[in-house]
Amino acid sequence: MFLTVVVPLYNESENVSPLYEAIFRSIEKVDGAAEVIFVDDGSSDDTFEVAARLADADTRLRVVKFRRNYGQTPAMAAGIDLARGEIIITMDGDLQNDPADIPRFIDEIHKGSDIVVGWRFNRQDKLVTRKIPSRIANWLIGKVTGVPIKDNGCSLKAFRASLIKGVPLYSEMHRFIPAMASIAGPRISEIKVRHHARRFGESKYGLSRVYKVLLDLLTIKMISTFSVRPLQWFAILAMPFLLLAVLMTLETIIRFASTGDFSLPVAGTALFFFAHGTFLLFGGALGELISRTGLQQVTRFHVLAAAEAADSSRRLQSIDAKGKGI
Amino acid sequence: MSSAVEVSAIIPVSKRYDRQGTLVEKYLASLQSLGRSFELICVLDGDCGEFENHVLALSETERSLKVIRLAKTFGEATAIAAGYEYASGETIVTLPAYYQIEPGEIDKLIDKLDDCDLAIAVRWPRVTSSRFENWRREAFHWLVAKVGHEKFTDLGCGARAMRRIVLQEIPLYAEQHRLLPLLALRRGFHVREVKVRQSAEDRFEGRYGARTYLRRMLDILGIVFLVRFTKKPLRFFGMIGSVMFLLGAIFLVYVIIDRVFFGVGLADRPALLLSSLLVVLGLQLFALGLLGELIIFTHAQDLKEYTIEKIVN
Repeated sequence: MFLTVVVPLYNESENVSPLYEAIFRSIEKVDGAAEVIFVDDGSSDDTFEVAARLADADTRLRVVKFRRNYGQTPAMAAGIDLARGEIIITMDGDLQNDPADIPRFIDEIHKGSDIVVGWRFNRQDKLVTRKIPSRIANWLIGKVTGVPIKDNGCSLKAFRASLIKGVPLYSEMHRFIPAMASIAGPRISEIKVRHHARRFGESKYGLSRVYKVLLDLLTIKMISTFSVRPLQWFAILAMPFLLLAVLMTLETIIRFASTGDFSLPVAGTALFFFAHGTFLLFGGALGELISRTGLQQVTRFHVLAAAEAADSSRRLQSIDAKGKGI
Repeated sequence: MSSAVEVSAIIPVSKRYDRQGTLVEKYLASLQSLGRSFELICVLDGDCGEFENHVLALSETERSLKVIRLAKTFGEATAIAAGYEYASGETIVTLPAYYQIEPGEIDKLIDKLDDCDLAIAVRWPRVTSSRFENWRREAFHWLVAKVGHEKFTDLGCGARAMRRIVLQEIPLYAEQHRLLPLLALRRGFHVREVKVRQSAEDRFEGRYGARTYLRRMLDILGIVFLVRFTKKPLRFFGMIGSVMFLLGAIFLVYVIIDRVFFGVGLADRPALLLSSLLVVLGLQLFALGLLGELIIFTHAQDLKEYTIEKIVN
């Protein structure tokens, strides 16, 4: 099977050449044709020039240059969009992942997995700022998304191209690719990978993303669980408020009837809750409209995954049939 | 003939235009001195009275002058976009319809394009009619710098030169022309400021109304949202929503503790009203943010987040 290795690079000029050599040394052991895509994410050093020089001598290497720095997820998305392979491998450009692990990922795909995720079991990073937050995040992501992966942050992953090309990748979603893809119900496996300490350059991450990760997580949860039936989900949210509103209204009426006092705060709160419940219900209806008319139809995504197991010609038919029926 | 045009200059003509009837000729003379093939496109944004008659008369004799008249007033940015539709040059220049810069300085802008994609003019040295105007201009640029993380000095100047691809990729509408440099930066274009001489005729009489200020503020706000949160609506809505929700929840807990432990009746506490309002508002903003995320998700396949400059192999 044709293999594509996608590597986002940002200010990694010293790492480019060793990386290039290590990747090709490793993929030459794998059967079948292969290509490597380096995505230069608007580096300010000469990463692109170094990579382009290598690419001039070797047509199996493709180099993409972004106009400005967009971040790791768009860089991966670009590489995946341009990939011609049937298997796509993504990895970091800082040589912390070891390209020598690539053949094991491909074996795992051949065994029937759709996604293979690396697990950096002997991670070479700072404990307090990197490893502990990451462990908490992974536990939380596993709990919320129901995809218990030990190391979501590891960039070394392998995908079946037909699956990953259908997964929308934007913003900072690369951390959640397995969770995002899990909407489609793929077979995910996890293998241990080597992890090296950084040789050149600076680490580009810090510990200031907790809030963003939490909101992203909420988004994924909503999209993966509720996007097929937003109305249902919004209705569940609305119910307690509507119930409270009814109770409070009753209380006000009974009190007024029996003692003659009227409590404005209670009646007013009841009205708020009533308005809120109604708003949520209509919001759900709007959500229903969005998920039915969007280009990336969530139901279509499910169909794609179901058919992934079947053969590819039948897959296309079923997408057409189900896609139009929505 | 049109395929050989190198420079297309667009003049969007809105409410303010040169009343002396000399500006367009000066622009033409300046463009001629560039030594490149050019066209000058006058886009009349609705009814422009005497100016329209003037350019129409001029276009009888001047073959490189084209006049487009929009059916009604759409705004300057739309006029530029309309001019772009008819422009065939690789280099596009926008020129103000009234004296802002010395017309002879256009070449400075075009020369700068060698090392950037969009060159914007800065009137320098700058003479302004009043201190209030100075202050107003500084406040506007300060605000733009705050939200856009990029300091510009003269966004009000209508003279800009750019590569064709800039307008091709950035859809302009309404009043967005002023913030074009900001939008271009977000698309990964290189933007440079070029100092050009201010025209001696450049004076601003009169005042902007309150509505103008409000519109500009909303323009900036719209751009901030587009630029920073398009892909992550929940971050924007969620941030505001969670602050409200938390405030409301703290209040609510306080009111309930008072009720349970100190026997202060809920019924006569206006604080109950306020706190439940905050909780409800916070949740609604969250719900809106989630709907936004759903929209992005369902369109993600269409929204390319990156712009590619080059591909090797």
